[in-house]
Amino acid sequence: MDVEGEPFDRRLSRADMLRLAALAAGAGVVAGPAAAADAAIARLTKESGRLQVMDWAGYGNDGGQAMFAAYVQKYPHNKPQFASPMTNETNAYGRIRAGAQPDVFRPYVGWVKFFAQSGLVQPWNPKLISNFDHLNPFMVKAGQYGGKQYGIPDDWGFDAILYRSDKVHPKANSWGLLFDERYKGKIAWFDDLEMITIAGLYLKAKNPWNQTQTELNRSVNFLKSKKHVARMNWSSETDLWQAFGSGEIWIAYAWPNDWVQMKKKKLPVVYMHPKEKPIAWVGMFMLLKNSPRPHLAHAYVDAWSSKRSGKWLEDNYGYGHANIEAKPSSSQLLKALQLANPKAVTLPNAYLDRDIRQRSTYANLWEEVKRA
Amino acid sequence: MGRGEAGLTAEASATHAAAPAPRRRRRLKLATPALLGLPLGWLVVFLVVPAVIVALYSVNELSLFPGPHSFALGGWYRLFHAGYLQLFWKSTEMSLIVSALVVGAAYPLAYFLALSGTRRKYVLLLLLIAPFLTSYLLRVLAWKVILGDTGVINTFLVWTGLQAKGHALSFLLYSRFAVMLVLGYVWLPFVALPIFVTLESLDQRLLEAASDLYASRMQAFLRVTLPLSLPGVVAAFLFVFIPTVGEFVTPSLVGGTGGYMYGNQIVDLFETGFPDWETGAALALFLIGVIAVLTVVFVRFLRVGEARTA
Repeated sequence: MDVEGEPFDRRLSRADMLRLAALAAGAGVVAGPAAAADAAIARLTKESGRLQVMDWAGYGNDGGQAMFAAYVQKYPHNKPQFASPMTNETNAYGRIRAGAQPDVFRPYVGWVKFFAQSGLVQPWNPKLISNFDHLNPFMVKAGQYGGKQYGIPDDWGFDAILYRSDKVHPKANSWGLLFDERYKGKIAWFDDLEMITIAGLYLKAKNPWNQTQTELNRSVNFLKSKKHVARMNWSSETDLWQAFGSGEIWIAYAWPNDWVQMKKKKLPVVYMHPKEKPIAWVGMFMLLKNSPRPHLAHAYVDAWSSKRSGKWLEDNYGYGHANIEAKPSSSQLLKALQLANPKAVTLPNAYLDRDIRQRSTYANLWEEVKRA
Repeated sequence: MGRGEAGLTAEASATHAAAPAPRRRRRLKLATPALLGLPLGWLVVFLVVPAVIVALYSVNELSLFPGPHSFALGGWYRLFHAGYLQLFWKSTEMSLIVSALVVGAAYPLAYFLALSGTRRKYVLLLLLIAPFLTSYLLRVLAWKVILGDTGVINTFLVWTGLQAKGHALSFLLYSRFAVMLVLGYVWLPFVALPIFVTLESLDQRLLEAASDLYASRMQAFLRVTLPLSLPGVVAAFLFVFIPTVGEFVTPSLVGGTGGYMYGNQIVDLFETGFPDWETGAALALFLIGVIAVLTVVFVRFLRVGEARTA
């Protein structure tokens, strides 16, 4: 079902559509467009059942309830039902291909093109998201493919380096700290093909997301030669927090939330802004093509996109939020994430993560590094 | 009664007398498939069918990606040419070491429990399997507390002065050693149990006979107890070796970069980076194949051993 093109073709007749349009337009005159459209849609679409959501750990009923509280309040009979958490986009892709049918799931910006091309998702209708106009235009643009809005931006942050300032003395603010022999055994890499990109960035590849064969060989050989300095490759933040918090790790590839969590543990930590630039990422809600609840999905994403949800996310998870009106209580976080800068995720501040054309090659090479 | 009648009666009585036997046979014929049906069905549905599906993925007859796809051996080619076999050997080596050490450690324990004549052997046995009352994950995570840089062992070493403060033994955690240690701990009861059962069912008169024939305790052990307990030892060894060679949870939690195993690679091919189910399926099937062959070899060895003992 294409929500943007033909919003209600599955459940409503053309006559219903006209009635809906008339009702929405009429109600709009009286009570404001957003509320009226919501009411009309809720009455006429008759989307039933619980909204099926596939999200990351911490964003469902395991702590992230505040992000969609407004939706639950509005649609108490269609509360979100969360599938087991995504562990990564590959995991989500495999599950959907194997028959999982979430209405909504949330890959990150580098996967927008991949999923849009996969034929599994449909574009959103921004008109059905009242908070859409408050979303960061750079992030909104990053969610587009072929001129259509396939991804609705929500949380965002950086891939950068976290280190213990009492133990580590970097020679420079550089990604090179992840490969520093002086701290052998005290470094954690991220268990993702993004490490090939980081190596490319550090080794000054022309385009780290699309390296030539020569550049890829150089990146892989470099990572293999430095593998002994890394004590672990983390894939779960809790593993990283445990290792970092207990002093087993002093330097890590990390996200802003990791910095926030370590500060909460009263550890002297610095979240470095490497001179090669950090990589910025943005979470993107995507709507499955055959979702039987597209309007509920829009309402859910709308709740996520609100200023209130954004502030909660920033205060509690230490990530930025695409709603530019959302501001965290902590001035430190505001500064670290450059939340006052709407272009924080783009150059000259950072590289916005992007589609990797040779994704399977990158993945194979990262696996090669791990088993070396 | 005429002859004919007598003959009929004789035939009838013969038939009557013989009647129960065919019925019993018929019942037996039905009983065997009825008894075997459920486990066989279970095996077909949950082992054979999934294995066939995995096999189809490995040759690209089934694919995660839509669109045309045809028979290809790319996954198998990569298995043999892209360094996966080295990783398999590393995992096999780790698993063999763990299995051998654990069997070596469990044997005396099982021997004591089974043959010492202690009345509390079942209580002790219960204590041995007590860790199973908690989750596998918790037991593995508990080792992080013990092995970490600020964990029990390192803190003790610093406290006793054997280790300088700030110079923790880092190989204890996030290493191949950590994986092998935790695997050994986790599987020890599985090893002790089959050995215990074999030793407990040992005919004590054989040991008495050995003693009557002036065999020393060591000779009796080496020539009677050990050969007769070998089936239990081999079963115990397989109990550890089969699951640990494809292990991925423990190395994920305590293995770090050095403890990466073949099982982790399979998971990663299916789940991380970019899905490569073709190669992942080939790796999984290869593992199943190797384990099946090893099991057959062990069982054959066992039978030869049993025949010799008999």
